[in-house]
Amino acid sequence: MIPQKSSADESRRGAPSYFSYAVFACSLIAGIALGLAFTRAYGPLQRGNAEPWQLRADERHHFAIAIALEHAHHGDMARSLHKLIALRPAQHPLDALADAACVLGSSGYLRSDSGISALRSAVALYTAGGRAGCAEQLLPLSAIESAPDPIDDQASAADFARPLPTKPPLSEGQAQATIRRLVPRPVALRSFEARAARSTCDASNPALIEAHVVDYLGRGIPGQRIRVRWGDQADIFVSGLKLDRGDSYADFQMEEGIEYAIDMPGAADPLGASLSAGACYSGNRRLLKSWRVTFVET
Amino acid sequence: MKLRFARSLILGLLLGSLAGFYFGWIRFPPATRNSAISDLAQRYRDEYTVLIAAGYAADGDAAGARERLGKLAIDDISLYLRRSTERIIRASARELDDIRLLARLAHDLGGATPLMEPFLALGGPDP
Repeated sequence: MIPQKSSADESRRGAPSYFSYAVFACSLIAGIALGLAFTRAYGPLQRGNAEPWQLRADERHHFAIAIALEHAHHGDMARSLHKLIALRPAQHPLDALADAACVLGSSGYLRSDSGISALRSAVALYTAGGRAGCAEQLLPLSAIESAPDPIDDQASAADFARPLPTKPPLSEGQAQATIRRLVPRPVALRSFEARAARSTCDASNPALIEAHVVDYLGRGIPGQRIRVRWGDQADIFVSGLKLDRGDSYADFQMEEGIEYAIDMPGAADPLGASLSAGACYSGNRRLLKSWRVTFVET
Repeated sequence: MKLRFARSLILGLLLGSLAGFYFGWIRFPPATRNSAISDLAQRYRDEYTVLIAAGYAADGDAAGARERLGKLAIDDISLYLRRSTERIIRASARELDDIRLLARLAHDLGGATPLMEPFLALGGPDP
């Protein structure tokens, strides 16, 4: 006769017949792991619990500018520095502010008076702290002061003869006779300076040179030729061809291990440093570095 | 037997996932930097609003202040300022100067209420 298990036996073992502690423990651990993995994959819960340092880069720039605006009101450097530090920048907080001002100034922020006023506040704050950036050159006041007079009739003939990038070469006589009359001088005399080359580590755009060509107000300028040289080769790409990225935008795909020099032929000197698609890490992923270079009209 | 297994599995996964979400999102939120200004916690939304109010006190640029407050993804800026300022006044959650700045901005953007009047009427230098 086979002995029957009684409920008293099971309760003595501590496990009721309708539940398995072993399965429950394993699935509990699996559930915790799944929950944690999900929250890590999808980032902070969108429920309004973020701190300023958790803002994404573009939003941190706006927050930093707001701090500069407040500084324009009370003028307390220590207080502003304290707030900038709370953004946990990877560099000196005033350098981070200068970078933020530069990025915003190069991306259309200066199209409004409000933007100009805000960037002035930022420039005032970081220059008061002994720092410098590109935004002070982007601000219209300084640009107007340094801009050449567009109707200066005393300019040399060589200035007039500088060919337009999109025009075919002209013979010497044509250049003197035609360009002087037909080509608007401010366009023909445009010159740029490469500024604010920064590396990024972006999984969606690895090993890319993103160039932006902007005027002194931060407005994109389409149709500008940008040259990339490596070894004995060169390639030209043109701003404004990708309509969804704006008038200022142009890009070039790099290859790993090659160093590239970038300039605007006839309009901007080469960037001081060469660019290369070295390794970078985003989280635990190895990626290739990209570069963002801004050519600002001088 | 199968029912016993399924019941334990489902209950374990459910409780485990809840615990995972709690720890992952609330107790130890991921240290990523992908939030928008509108995702800031209330305390930091107030901080941002005070920064904008101080900027407004400095430059008097109402359009700029309105545009910057738009980053908080709010539909009615006047209503937001009214509610925020009243909440901060009632809770004494900020310094007096900050409240004066907020009251001034709320007033100029059409959100002033009687509760703010004492702060608007306070003497002394412009906040």
